[in-house]
Amino acid sequence: MAEYKRSTQIADAPSGYCPGCLHSLATRLISDVLDELGQGDNSLNVISVGCSALNILYWNNDFLSVAHGRAPAAATGIKRTNPERLVFAYQGDGDLAAIGLAEIMSAANRGENFTVIFANNQTYGMTGGQMAPTTLIGQKTTTTVYGRDPQTTGYPMKMCELISTLEAPVYVARFALNSPKGVREAKAGIKKAFQAQLDGKGFTFVELLTNCPTNWHMTPLQTLDYMNMNTIPYFKPGVYKDKTE
Amino acid sequence: MKTSFVFSGSGGQGIMSAGITLAQTAMRMGKHATYLPEYGPQQRGGSAKCTVVISDEPIISPLPRRCDNLIAMNNLAFRRFEEDLKPGGILLTNASLVTDEVNRDDVTVIAAAVDDLALELGNAKAANIILLGILIGATDIVSKEAFAQSLEEKFKSKAPEVLALNLAALDKGIAIGQQHKA
Amino acid sequence: MSEKRFMKGNEAIAEAAVRAGCRFFAGYPITPQNEIPEYLSWRLPEVGGAYVQGESEIASVNMVYGAAAMGTRSMTSSSGPGISLKAEGISYLASAMLPALIVNISRGGPGLGSIQPAQSDYLQATKALGHGGFHAMVFAPNSAQEAVNVVYNAWDYAERDRNPVLVLMDGCLGNIMEEVELPPMKELSDEDLPEWSLTRRNGRDYQGNITPIYTEPILEGINAMAGEMYKAWEEEDVQVETYELDDAEYVVVAYGIASRVAKEAIMELRAEGYKIGMIRPITLFPFPKKTIHDLDYSRVKGIIDIEMTIPAQMREDIELQVAERCPVYEYGRSGGCLLDDEGVYDAIKDILTGGADNG
Repeated sequence: MAEYKRSTQIADAPSGYCPGCLHSLATRLISDVLDELGQGDNSLNVISVGCSALNILYWNNDFLSVAHGRAPAAATGIKRTNPERLVFAYQGDGDLAAIGLAEIMSAANRGENFTVIFANNQTYGMTGGQMAPTTLIGQKTTTTVYGRDPQTTGYPMKMCELISTLEAPVYVARFALNSPKGVREAKAGIKKAFQAQLDGKGFTFVELLTNCPTNWHMTPLQTLDYMNMNTIPYFKPGVYKDKTE
Repeated sequence: MKTSFVFSGSGGQGIMSAGITLAQTAMRMGKHATYLPEYGPQQRGGSAKCTVVISDEPIISPLPRRCDNLIAMNNLAFRRFEEDLKPGGILLTNASLVTDEVNRDDVTVIAAAVDDLALELGNAKAANIILLGILIGATDIVSKEAFAQSLEEKFKSKAPEVLALNLAALDKGIAIGQQHKA
Repeated sequence: MSEKRFMKGNEAIAEAAVRAGCRFFAGYPITPQNEIPEYLSWRLPEVGGAYVQGESEIASVNMVYGAAAMGTRSMTSSSGPGISLKAEGISYLASAMLPALIVNISRGGPGLGSIQPAQSDYLQATKALGHGGFHAMVFAPNSAQEAVNVVYNAWDYAERDRNPVLVLMDGCLGNIMEEVELPPMKELSDEDLPEWSLTRRNGRDYQGNITPIYTEPILEGINAMAGEMYKAWEEEDVQVETYELDDAEYVVVAYGIASRVAKEAIMELRAEGYKIGMIRPITLFPFPKKTIHDLDYSRVKGIIDIEMTIPAQMREDIELQVAERCPVYEYGRSGGCLLDDEGVYDAIKDILTGGADNG
């Protein structure tokens, strides 16, 4: 029988993420993978801005907290000078797909040998639920009170699709964390990405579809259904690129 | 003794390279030298200018308003900088291209068709070295030997013909310059 | 072994950085500093370092932020417009207490301004290099040689203070070629890595973390520590050159390229019998307040601020120390028009002979 243990990389402290927020689950998955790969001590966690910045309170591994959107740039400086460390950045959708678009695309295009985990919950959580580049058409936020209108705000950005057009990245995949199957696949995807990095193969990108019960104004269970009905049909899970073999 | 030079012309005429080689040669001879390029946004064909100061003492200001020697490779440069030449200075023009009338009667004018002379030697690119040869012949600012050494270093990775051409250009220039020696 | 070379200011900075132990550079092309990244793009790999051409100034300074956190001696360079973009990252370096070297080879401004040399970034460099009220030590060398010396020691200050260091030099000095004597290569080993660095190589057994974000009582303490550090700089780290001050009735204050042009004019005026001297700040921050404050104002009749920018930017710092004990004059060229020896001579002479108004 499998034994349930606390991940060694997660601090022995209560989580400050909202109840039902899938950031907690994503954190747990990454930590478990680090344990399984024996990379906890060797890992370097590049912490971005947004709710993800709360990670400075929840991790035991070494971290560098960086400016909004710049995690792939900072990770470049880290990895180029210390290639032996397992480097990953955990970025939200505003951080990665809006203010940090140049940094993520350019790091991916250079084929930097680190892993970016992209938590896509279609909103700016920490600042109070404004429209994100990934907010769905019609979705209500504090800056799209009548729902996102593509006439004035364009369409939700599909980052896996964009990044997989580049030559250099070796692994690009999207998973939804609203089902046990999705969670299992996501963990395997993160592990594959980290292993590819350890093998020196190049840039790896794992997008995790997550939720925001607080700013979506739903119960946690409602968010999981909403994801099935709305998020997953637009942001299709799957492996977009795999050159790891 | 502090002497200043302005090399002027258009991009591609070897202006900058002439300035650097002269300054490097001065340094080789134990003098002090500064070289300051004036850079523009155009990569080709724009105006090119550099200022070289050579002195026995450490150089304080590398930005003289007026120069002791003006080397003008075309009409545009000549007109733009003619007034910057100090009285008693040397105006050296590339007569192949500088056709405008010289308005100064307080300077030594040396007009040499260096483009044509370089073509006679076999390569238009050697025009700037002929000009430097003229300067060296007329002023003794650096020695022929030290300058030849700079050329050897500059062209060490090129075919031997390139160095030979430039040394011939130097000799040709010096011969012309000596006729104008004060 | 030291060695003499005829080098461009920009290349001299790059080579001095390598010899100082710099092993990471990220930057973005901008005139008039391109020789720095160009040189380091081949030079750093030769010594086992890394060079990255960033997708922007912003990305570049954040790459430096990442490398600096690993204890690697790191730098970026740019010119005014790019330094504005780097402002965010420089502020984060200060906040996260990371050492790094930032080089500004300045040009005319504001905006895209001019690619020609100017000293138009004094205020940005000394007062607000980014948001949040921090300072960096600012060095303003006036020759390729002094640039080498300053860059060679820059990380010693940056690591001592855990704070970025700025070298501010205009496009003239960046592009001038002159003789430099290069210092020997500093051989740094893993033992030299700062204890706070995030590398595993120093055998740390506790969590390494570096952050530019703090909760309120901690941040106030950090702000206060920075304040103490700035005061200590003023006591211990001011670098200033004085020239012929003993009997001076007029004192020029000038830094960088302006100081060289001014000195030539002053020498000429001295030869004509004028009692004039010069104060040349080498560190713009900390500013040599005391040198200006302690002049004998019963003798000094006027201070002349000469800068290659209009209006003069250092003037307020000078005026605070003069405290209305004598008039302060200014002369400058701007927008890519260069100072020259005769122009400066004429302007100073005009002031000395009473032809110029105060201010």
